[in-house]
Amino acid sequence: MNTEEKPAGRPKYINPYFGGVLLGLLLLLTMYITGRGLGASGAVKSAVVTTVDNISPMHAEHNVYYHKFISDNHSPMFNWLVFESLGIFLGGLLSGALYGRLKKLRIEYSPKISGKTRLWAAGIGGILFGIGSQFGRGCSSGAALSGTASFSFGGFLVMMLLFGTGYVLAYFFKKLWI
Amino acid sequence: MNRNYIYLTILLLALAGGLFVLPERNNEQGTGPEELMWDIVQPTRYATTDQVARMIIEKDPTIELIDVRPTEEYESFTLPGAVNIPLDSIIIEHYQDYLGVDGMNAVFFSNDDIKADQAWVIARRMGYDNIYVMKGGLNHWVETMIRPVKPDETAPEAEFEKYNLRKGACLYFSGAKPDANAGVQKSGVVVKRKKKAAVAEGGC
Amino acid sequence: MGPLIPQGIITGEWDFVIALLLGIAFGFILEASGFSSSRNIAGVFYGYNFVVLRVFLTAVLVAMIGLLYFDYMGWIEMDLVYVLPTYLSSMVLGSVIMGLGFVLGGFCPGTSYTAIAIGKIDAMVFTGGLFLGIFLFSEAFPWISDFYYSDNLGSVTISEVLGISNELFTFIMVVMGLVAFWGTWLIEKKVRKTIKHYKFE
Repeated sequence: MNTEEKPAGRPKYINPYFGGVLLGLLLLLTMYITGRGLGASGAVKSAVVTTVDNISPMHAEHNVYYHKFISDNHSPMFNWLVFESLGIFLGGLLSGALYGRLKKLRIEYSPKISGKTRLWAAGIGGILFGIGSQFGRGCSSGAALSGTASFSFGGFLVMMLLFGTGYVLAYFFKKLWI
Repeated sequence: MNRNYIYLTILLLALAGGLFVLPERNNEQGTGPEELMWDIVQPTRYATTDQVARMIIEKDPTIELIDVRPTEEYESFTLPGAVNIPLDSIIIEHYQDYLGVDGMNAVFFSNDDIKADQAWVIARRMGYDNIYVMKGGLNHWVETMIRPVKPDETAPEAEFEKYNLRKGACLYFSGAKPDANAGVQKSGVVVKRKKKAAVAEGGC
Repeated sequence: MGPLIPQGIITGEWDFVIALLLGIAFGFILEASGFSSSRNIAGVFYGYNFVVLRVFLTAVLVAMIGLLYFDYMGWIEMDLVYVLPTYLSSMVLGSVIMGLGFVLGGFCPGTSYTAIAIGKIDAMVFTGGLFLGIFLFSEAFPWISDFYYSDNLGSVTISEVLGISNELFTFIMVVMGLVAFWGTWLIEKKVRKTIKHYKFE
């Protein structure tokens, strides 16, 4: 896809339907074991709470939102989703190494924009996703994927609206991608 | 390539459609016979009168005494703090609040073991946990708590501890000043509690 | 039987080991399917690559069908499965914001972790943005908490809201999903012909 990846051959991805079936079975297994689905943004939330709690414990104590996630017994990093997200990183590393996509640091962007533009877009996108995931009680994995699979109306709503908004707005950001 | 996808399409449709043609099946909400049998033979489902007495004296907030005898008998005599759920009305909706409380240990008792045991089996079948039967019932209670027998001089120390507790309980229940610390047993009451899921809050 | 941890069949000590293992499998599948590339992901919005729709929708369908069969066989206690509560207005706003973030950033949190793992700088910036976004949200929380908790419908399920059974809903989703799979296959073929400067596998 990216020019850098060409010489080593095209990136080899598994069949998307096969990946989907695997992901579905994994989700089922997760629900069978833990009674709830997969997630991702919760780990960043734990990191935020930990950081704020370390820099200014008083401030964290006074804010209701931080306070919800602080317990006296253990650090907010000692959390299911943090370990799971660490696993996501390791799994990505494993797959990247296995399929030969593990390479030096690089930015992937459309030839029509500069790398700097791409980083700005990624950063703003990240901020928006961070805010949105708190309002939405989860991101595309926690709310949309796991929520819909467990027949939650909220999860289904998030899935439809998230992708729906994407389609509506896609036209304006076409240059970023193609 | 394309033909395989057609097969997969049909497979997915069949799996989804299969959900409709499945025959009715009632997944038992309560406890199955095999599990029930194992639960019944467990000695840990009994609480001794000593354990119950100690919990009453210590005002243990997790104990819920349930008198399963008829109301008239309950009114004439019962244990302190006990509620009355006659055996024939244990499945009535109104009484379910007493049984399904998290962290509470419900102890059934009657004059002897029989009615309390029956109540226990019914409650177990309804799917309740943390339920116990007071071994020996009120008859044994009177024998041990109201008229405790002093053990032999050669008896092990535990027997004496038990005797001291019973004597204390006797005073306590007959209205005298409680001497709660006198000879309280060291060994804890067997409390079986279900572990709560420790899954993190805040989705995604 | 299941779910195992809420029923106490697996005790709390194993929690984090299980979390790590499930996470590794999750990350592996995401990366191997091509979710570590933001241009792959964003393709779903422009019609040149529908990998997101294929993987995501297949996963949802498999998990839904599987869950219903598990329930039928009595292997899983559906009452103990966590149903995400619905806060209507907060969730609508959140999804719209996330949708915008998705088109701009090209990642979602889970996929950005795998992209960091294979060395994408844009994914690191995205995750930094996530951190900042959640920080901003938490700082502003005292002013938005009323909105955050408004319109709480509780843990309602799709069938309760739409008035159809879970089985029927799943079947409708399967039919819609299959139409989408075949339809997007055609769209993708067409769109790829029109894009000359972008090489596809």
